[in-house]
Amino acid sequence: MAAYTDMEHIRFVLHEMLQASTLCEFERYKDYDKEAFDILIDSTKDYADKFMYPLLKEMDEQPAHYKDGKIIVHPAVGKFMKYCGENGSIGSTFDYEHGGMQLPHTVYSAVSHIVQAANNALPGYTGLTQGAADLLVTYASPELIEKYVPKMMKGEWGGTMCLTEPQAGSSLSDITTTAYPQEDGSYKIKGQKIFISGGDHEYADNIVHLLIGRIEGAPAGTKGISLFVVPKKRINEDGSLESNDVITAGDFQKMGQRGYCTTHLVFGENDDCRAWLVGAENRGLKNMFQMMNGARIDVGLTAASVASAAYHASLQYAKERPQGRRIQAGGVKNTNQEQTTIINHPDVRRMLHLQEAVTEACISLLLTASNYQDRAHFGPEEERQKYHELLELITPIAKTYPSEMGRVSVSNGLQVLGGYGFCQDFPLEQYYRDIRIMALYEGTTGIQSLDLLGRKVIMNNGSAMKHLTKEFISTIKEATSFDDLKPYAEQLKSASKELASTTQHLLTFAMQGDHERYIADATVYMEMMSNIVIAWQWLKMATIAKTALVSGNTIQSTSFYERKVHTMKFYFKYELPKIAACKHTLHSEDNLTIPEANQVAFS
Amino acid sequence: MKILVCVSKTPETTANINFTNNNTEFDTNGVSFIMNPYDEWYALVRALELTEANGGSVTIVNVGPSINDAVIKKGLAIGAKDAVRIDAEPTSALFVAKQIAAYAKSEAYDIIFTGKESIDYNGSLVGGMIAELLDLPYISYASSMELAGSTATLQREIEGGTEVVQLDTPFVVSAAKGMAEQRIPNMRGIMMAKKKPLNVATAEAAQSNEKVVEFKEVPKDRAIKMINPEDMAELVRLLHEEAKAI
Ligand SMILES: Cc1cc2nc3c(=O)[nH]c(=O)nc-3n(C[C@H](O)[C@H](O)[C@H](O)COP(=O)(O)OP(=O)(O)OC[C@H]3O[C@@H](n4cnc5c(N)ncnc54)[C@H](O)[C@@H]3O)c2cc1C
Repeated sequence: MAAYTDMEHIRFVLHEMLQASTLCEFERYKDYDKEAFDILIDSTKDYADKFMYPLLKEMDEQPAHYKDGKIIVHPAVGKFMKYCGENGSIGSTFDYEHGGMQLPHTVYSAVSHIVQAANNALPGYTGLTQGAADLLVTYASPELIEKYVPKMMKGEWGGTMCLTEPQAGSSLSDITTTAYPQEDGSYKIKGQKIFISGGDHEYADNIVHLLIGRIEGAPAGTKGISLFVVPKKRINEDGSLESNDVITAGDFQKMGQRGYCTTHLVFGENDDCRAWLVGAENRGLKNMFQMMNGARIDVGLTAASVASAAYHASLQYAKERPQGRRIQAGGVKNTNQEQTTIINHPDVRRMLHLQEAVTEACISLLLTASNYQDRAHFGPEEERQKYHELLELITPIAKTYPSEMGRVSVSNGLQVLGGYGFCQDFPLEQYYRDIRIMALYEGTTGIQSLDLLGRKVIMNNGSAMKHLTKEFISTIKEATSFDDLKPYAEQLKSASKELASTTQHLLTFAMQGDHERYIADATVYMEMMSNIVIAWQWLKMATIAKTALVSGNTIQSTSFYERKVHTMKFYFKYELPKIAACKHTLHSEDNLTIPEANQVAFS
Repeated sequence: MKILVCVSKTPETTANINFTNNNTEFDTNGVSFIMNPYDEWYALVRALELTEANGGSVTIVNVGPSINDAVIKKGLAIGAKDAVRIDAEPTSALFVAKQIAAYAKSEAYDIIFTGKESIDYNGSLVGGMIAELLDLPYISYASSMELAGSTATLQREIEGGTEVVQLDTPFVVSAAKGMAEQRIPNMRGIMMAKKKPLNVATAEAAQSNEKVVEFKEVPKDRAIKMINPEDMAELVRLLHEEAKAI
């Protein structure tokens, strides 16, 4: 059977790292227990093995496309939406009151990882439906909720987020889609949205767009953006559906995620596109951020999942492919000997280790972020603010590191297969294409880095950074109690200090009023900080593994825990030292990228 | 229609199998356990289908320690109404059959299902023993089963064909592939499982008259030889000279 994830690692993160069953002490999650979580992730794996993974390649080979005014997608989309609707998994984290299951986000993320790793073209359709329904439930009037949410939860209707316009991608303050108030309290919409995922297909009776636009005469910039619900088909009094003047103008043909449609939508071409306000006027972007923050975690999770699938595929290949011979003492090779399998070549092992180190830490980081979400919303009152700030700070990293380093990891996986990696007989080339989008949508790496350094690091006087540093310190302290982990604890300690001094150094530009210089190399700062955050995850995993080994209180095999310590060492030898290069760049006096100071460049 | 489904816990199909204690005991270190697939996919699912069509209820029974609750709860999540765990180490097939028979005696089940075998020790024994202990008819390895009133028609795959058997309830049946299709528990089922009764019963005094003296592994040095598919002569030579199979 094809391997795309490691269930032991998921159980380790859920139960041994995050103690997921302690969430059941919260009033909201009292109907769950550890066994329910285990049954859920095992059943998800069963479903993904049977119905999702086998369609991965086929959906890539039969991409979504535009034909005669319609978007054609693989029939699996219909089956998957129906399954998720019947199963209750769309809106599984929602309140009971809204037909949800009150599943902890931590567990939802584990489930989400499994399905994304099996087939990353399918879950977006339901993920966006869930995100859109979540926005409605949070901000819309009870009538609108009643009208739309139940059908979305059943997987009968799809949902989207409509932000991007041709002239406004990263810069949403420049959107021009306009809403004209009508006497009955509704609005008429005019405008275009591009790159809309899941924007149209035949397997949903209706598509519910959550769209940002400007009410006629609203102030310029983000302060004039409002949020609307715009159905593809409006709902008449008797429940029947009629066209709402949302025209599908095309589907973008992409290098990856080809089974997941990306549409161009035109609203109000015939002056008959109705919309209803969700939340207060001019508060749209702020409200939309609720969906975007969730979606950012989802994108990070998808990236981690594609990287995971690639890792397991290349690991399997490396164990089977005979090629070359090991170098023996004296530097000779015995050509009479049978060829060795490539997993025995140190350079191949290095690539596999890199994949393992990136993938497993990404999964633990993303589940940690979801755990912060649970604790920020439903944990003990006095801890909520702390977890809220940690979540805010971690979100851009949890989106970006898996997207960027996941891609590097998949590239290493492809390299493990040699020339076969480049060919369609193996899934690596698809994974390589599929993962490339992650660093682009939901805010590019550049935009995430601006968010990290420009907002999150300094918010509330650096309060979130203080919380995170405390988390580092606590892990370092626990690791120090094991002699053989001490050197790594020391290494993380000094890395954390270097991050603090680098942040201080950059802040001097901001304090001098040179804000552009402050954030000019935000992406390098992101690279440095996320490397340290991942090192922290590894030290944490290694400490838990060591504790299990020493106490003999092992749930998994002994070798599983030993492997965790080993991979932590790999990370600290091969990856963490790269922060020195980032630090060098960030402390350099040279200013080479700000146009005015560098007019010679690109002239 | 009252149906009892006997379920056991087995190692996951991909688990690494090792033995300890001088090769007399299975080493459970690091092994994940699942519900025996024949019990889950075929026996339990068919039982549920029958009660969904004809009314009635499905109870799960397992003989084992409290750690087995995880597996039992999966059965509840799939749809069983309630479950009974008989609290004892399942030391042998006869011991397990005696426990289940003692429990089932007073409950008057119309049908008692087992899987055709458990995928760990492959004994195929428990079903037949329960039937004997309860003095009920036993149909083994059934690959399909239809019910009309209290008359059941079952099919068994036999060498060269199919045997069709008819009998009235009550009876014991062991379910083989074909009986039903795997049902993956859905979220609602999983949530409801926690609220369903999982009763714990005390075991009857019973002895095991057998003990395992050794588990022997298949020799690991059997190498795989790849042969050019065009080269039939080489295949025949190898089968004849090396494998000595022909
Ligand atoms: C497959 C796919 C699916 C998508 N799905 C959706 C969807 O469902 N809904 C939706 O609304 N949108 C969606 N998008 C749009 C996506 O979010 C945007 O493409 C993305 O935000 C970038 O915008 P852009 O393409 O206009 O690039 P630009 O904004 O033009 O960016 C170009 C480059 O400039 C950099 N840049 C821009 N501004 C700055 C700045 N101020 N400082 C530093 N660097 C900057 C960027 O980092 C990038 O490298 C999707 C896109 C794709 C490709």
